[in-house]
Amino acid sequence: MVDFSLLGGQYGYGGAPPAGGAYGGAPGYGAQPYSTYPGQQPYHGTPAAYGQAPTIDPQIQQWFMSVDHDKSGRITAHELQKALINTNWTAFNEETCRLMIGMFDKDFSGTIDLYEFQALWHYIQQWRATFDSFDSNKSGSIESHELHQAYQRMGYNVSPQFIQTIVIKFDHYGRRALTLDNFIQSCVMLKSLTDAFRQRDTTMTGVVRMSYEDFMQLAVLNKP
Amino acid sequence: MSYGYGQQAGYGQPAGYNQGYGQPAPPPGVDQNFLSGIFQRIDTDRSGSISANELQRALSNGTWTPFNPETVRLMIGMFDRDNSGTINFQEFVSLWKYVTDWQNTFRSYDRDNSGSIDKTELKTALTSFGYRLSDQFYDILIRKFDRQGRGTVAFDDFVQCAVVLQTLTSSFRAFDTDQDGWIQISYEQFLTLVFSLRS
Repeated sequence: MVDFSLLGGQYGYGGAPPAGGAYGGAPGYGAQPYSTYPGQQPYHGTPAAYGQAPTIDPQIQQWFMSVDHDKSGRITAHELQKALINTNWTAFNEETCRLMIGMFDKDFSGTIDLYEFQALWHYIQQWRATFDSFDSNKSGSIESHELHQAYQRMGYNVSPQFIQTIVIKFDHYGRRALTLDNFIQSCVMLKSLTDAFRQRDTTMTGVVRMSYEDFMQLAVLNKP
Repeated sequence: MSYGYGQQAGYGQPAGYNQGYGQPAPPPGVDQNFLSGIFQRIDTDRSGSISANELQRALSNGTWTPFNPETVRLMIGMFDRDNSGTINFQEFVSLWKYVTDWQNTFRSYDRDNSGSIDKTELKTALTSFGYRLSDQFYDILIRKFDRQGRGTVAFDDFVQCAVVLQTLTSSFRAFDTDQDGWIQISYEQFLTLVFSLRS
């Protein structure tokens, strides 16, 4: 039920959760396959494309060059932020940009090159499609009931109260709805935290014993 | 104390945090006219209150990059007592003291006056606050809070870091009823604690 090969030290690596294995009981949730969610193919450890010098889409190359303001050949989170917009034309939040750069930045330089950028671009496109598919009323943002549905489909069994916490914390505009950047950030966080928790929950009771240091490390590593 | 997360008295947090987010008492010895002048300069649209954007523009982290927006939100959240989302003058008086206290704390640990603190300086600072955390933990802290990618932590990120550690430690303590340094925590409680760090 739980694919343990997906567990491991890849905190901060994101994407949608492994299929199945709904967390916290309630069997039946999350049974649907969702191989179309971002992070399934490109992100379980090392992306397949790395190291093989994949061909670059000329369109993406062009976009890379316009995003790379200082012409350094690498894109920072700050440059990325200037280039990304939500459906409602607001800029992507800085934390999501840093989070995504961190996922694709192999050498911990805080920047990404053209190849990593292409992978990131596809990743964002996948999230955009996921976002649109859960935005059932086509409002351009994900409201709490849509978010609950999305999490359930991804295999996370969380309470309506928890959904409210997320919606309140991730929406700075008081609309009680998530834009694409916040949606991505919350999904990536949820996956990392669930993986980390599951790894410690050896008896599958949904409750773990944690030391101060372990707790602090996990929380800081996965903090928004 | 036995397992060392105890911040004893004199924990080192600038005043205003521990006692419930910026208590109203205006700091003694600060000239209200002086503060009023600063307030008016920050309030660029003359609305009579300071927005997150105005505050962000007014604050400097010493690196010519925009001040950490999370730190700005964190501070507004702490001092915006009427929940307006902005800071009025009364609230600003407390906030100003908070920021200058943090600046002094930061400078005292920035031994080489570089404007940012490295891992050793960060460890010295947090250890003096009462934290007992592993060397590996400090690597994680630097990685997560260093927004400039330099392996050091600037002022704004330092404040965020200290507030996050304080928040997490209080949360941990609330669960650690027998004070043995271990907690039992459920999946959703754990998720909620980490997600709530967003300000």
